[in-house]
Amino acid sequence: MYQGNKKYTNGEITVFWYPKKCIHATHCYRELIEVFNPGRRPWINMNGAPTKEIIRVVKLCPTQALDYKYNNEDANIQKSGDQSVAEKMVAEARIMKNGPLVLKGDFTIIDADGKEIKHHKTSLLCRCGASKNPPFCDGTHSKTGYLGN
Amino acid sequence: MEIENKSGVKTPEVKILKDGPIILKGFFRFRTSSGEETEKEHEILLCGCGKSGNKPYCDETHKKNVIKS
Repeated sequence: MYQGNKKYTNGEITVFWYPKKCIHATHCYRELIEVFNPGRRPWINMNGAPTKEIIRVVKLCPTQALDYKYNNEDANIQKSGDQSVAEKMVAEARIMKNGPLVLKGDFTIIDADGKEIKHHKTSLLCRCGASKNPPFCDGTHSKTGYLGN
Repeated sequence: MEIENKSGVKTPEVKILKDGPIILKGFFRFRTSSGEETEKEHEILLCGCGKSGNKPYCDETHKKNVIKS
């Protein structure tokens, strides 16, 4: 599960970065440029902020392109316990400004052909009408300059 | 379609219409881009063609435009 394309650690936690999942929602670097700086290489600096703050911003990522785990296994058990509580929460549909519709939690998604689409925790649906992989967002909105509340 | 999950609550449904809106129906939390949240039984038609004049909602502009789906 944790075979991310890139990983970064500060000794306490490891942050995983999955470039293919990223749609450049920009939450990470707008919140914490000291750690997440796309203009720098490596773009994640694990010494830029306290662990707690890094975890807070990783959790903001709407696409799960960022993930983390504790290097200490006992702490991971605590983390997965916290997550199963979060998964029982009510389903959420969120509009991303100038971007996709983000679905989190339990949803049944039916496509234009009437077929049920596999939905696992998070789905991003295209709102701009230009995705090459409909009904999902493929990031095209950022190239076409789509504007939409 | 009515699907019940383990807690007995109906799973909200998202239906994508060809060249048209995204229909969200059921109990879920809806959060707009300005951060307003409503948690209730919803039935919302969201623009899926990118051309609505009333985004995020559908205003039927798609009927005047041909889009790829």
